[in-house]
Amino acid sequence: MSKTKFSKQSIAASLLLLLCAAFSSFAQNTATLSISGEVTTPLELKSADLASFKQVSHKVKDRDGKEHEFSGVALIEILEKAGVTTGAKLRGENLAKYLLISASDGYEVLYSLAEIDPDFTDQVILLATTKDGQPLANGEGPFRIITPNDKKPARWIREVRSIKVAFAK
Amino acid sequence: MKNFLKTVLTNRPGWLKVSLVCAVFISCGLIQSFRAKNAEPYVLQYPANFGSRFVIPEGNPITKEGIYLGRLLFYEKALSANNNISCESCHQQKLAFTDGKAFSTGTDGSLTARNSMSLANLLWVRNFFWDGRSPGLEDQAKFPLTDPHEMGQPLSESARKLNNTTLYPPLFAKAFCSSVITEDQILKALSQFERTLISAGSNYDRYLAGNYQPTAQQFRGMQLFESGPDPKSGIRGANCGHCHGGVKTFKELFHNNGLDSVATDIGREQFTGQSTDRARFRVPTLRNIMLTAPYMHDGRFSTIEQVLDHYNAHIQQSPTLSAFLQDISNDPGGKNLALTKDEKADLTAFLGMLTDSLFTTNPAFSNPHPVLNP
Ligand code: HEC
Ligand code: HEC
Repeated sequence: MSKTKFSKQSIAASLLLLLCAAFSSFAQNTATLSISGEVTTPLELKSADLASFKQVSHKVKDRDGKEHEFSGVALIEILEKAGVTTGAKLRGENLAKYLLISASDGYEVLYSLAEIDPDFTDQVILLATTKDGQPLANGEGPFRIITPNDKKPARWIREVRSIKVAFAK
Repeated sequence: MKNFLKTVLTNRPGWLKVSLVCAVFISCGLIQSFRAKNAEPYVLQYPANFGSRFVIPEGNPITKEGIYLGRLLFYEKALSANNNISCESCHQQKLAFTDGKAFSTGTDGSLTARNSMSLANLLWVRNFFWDGRSPGLEDQAKFPLTDPHEMGQPLSESARKLNNTTLYPPLFAKAFCSSVITEDQILKALSQFERTLISAGSNYDRYLAGNYQPTAQQFRGMQLFESGPDPKSGIRGANCGHCHGGVKTFKELFHNNGLDSVATDIGREQFTGQSTDRARFRVPTLRNIMLTAPYMHDGRFSTIEQVLDHYNAHIQQSPTLSAFLQDISNDPGGKNLALTKDEKADLTAFLGMLTDSLFTTNPAFSNPHPVLNP
């Protein structure tokens, strides 16, 4: 009897330990990107999850005035994976949908869905994860938006933490 | 169904209870619709260039009665465990609702963990406190009211104490439909008052409206504040506006502004659990900054000159130091801002333009209780 009690305790203790371990690894942080709002499948992505997508890259001039090669995934592919109304479905009221992209420092920028959709534009907006072959540094990564046709890089938002799809109300 | 009716009819006391509850419910509904006519809606006044990106919770519309009640509560010491402090103790109007101390003293004499914050233009704040851990004023107010280092009293006890006064029950009845004061109503009234604390009457606001001519020094300071340094093009700057800019001198951002290489207070990380948020704090408003010393989340700087020296030459490196404070300099290839003594004086002159004495003397924000022992 007392034996089972003991093992119950030890199970509880080891569970607690596991929980602590899980928690501290969370604190160690592998930052995630969440896609939510008007989606059929909300997503929580880590950089590693993006490896299964087709890789795209852009050579563009950044704020520092120098050219860099950013690589990652076309933003539209992520939206399609989340079941956002793109392509043929991007019509009618869906044209009043937008993306609110937020960074971990609280910075926010907005894109309309049509700005991102290949039926509307040839520009491929990138969710970048590397710069000149290196993972994006702290303060810039792990995810950054690159919009080559924007003359001013103010919407090339760094440290992207969430993308929310919503209707303009 | 038959059985149910039978129990309702035979179980008299239960039936009585149900009908009583119904009666209260219905009459309150009546009073509620009556209140719409009775409690006067209040229209917030603010300059158009502040924008209207704020949300007033649906369940807490601002009324004149609610604001007045909130103002009484803001100055009410009965809300503290030892009846010795109110919100005002740490948020004094003449100091733009700060207290001039690095850390504030709570009801039991212990110190707060962080520096008291100015309460100006809270209407536009979306994540409250230095670490942004609270999503709204109604939620925020619970912390100072119950925190043992602040007012240290359970909300239920606060409601009980107010219910036992002669002053408050009729005022709550007028502002909210109820004869019993609830915890929620205390939070709502305080929030209504706080939403009216709008600072928009500084010389800077007058300048933006075309009604004030800055001195040459203030003007140079403003230019420096807003510009990023670009030594190649001969542009000198302090880049403050990147984080503190805009007409409200407030952008809701969280940054590590290089106070320490190893932080003792991990700031936003404590709330988000993300190590990339270590020692990030909310960029505070610079409104009335000349009145709100000492500065930073721990009140480590007692003068604006010390703050400017920090940004100019003492930024501490760490893995989460803001990218906007790295490799920016007025010297080609320089490692720090390298502002001159005169430029720092110019910046100080500009910051002085943010003092709003209409705000710090507005009678609508002052203590409404009769002061018995002046
Ligand atoms: C003992 C001192 C003390 C008292 C009393 C006190 N506060 Fe504060 N207040 C602080 C401190 C310290 C902070 C910053 C705390 C932090 O960030 O962790 C603060 C922060 C705030 C903020 C956040 C402002 C912002 O921009 O995010 C609000 C709002 C506020 N207090 C309102 C109140 C109200 C309302 C009361 C009364 C119910 C009150 N305070 C009582 C010390 C106090
Ligand atoms: C990278 C963003 C950033 C830049 C650029 C920046 N600040 Fe700050 N500032 C902050 C943050 C974040 C805090 C709060 C830090 C803390 O308390 O830990 C702060 C705090 C302050 C405070 C103290 C406010 C208070 O209520 O205690 C003053 C004053 C200030 N900054 C002035 C300036 C000036 C002047 C400049 C330009 C020389 C400047 N800042 C540039 C982010 C920034």
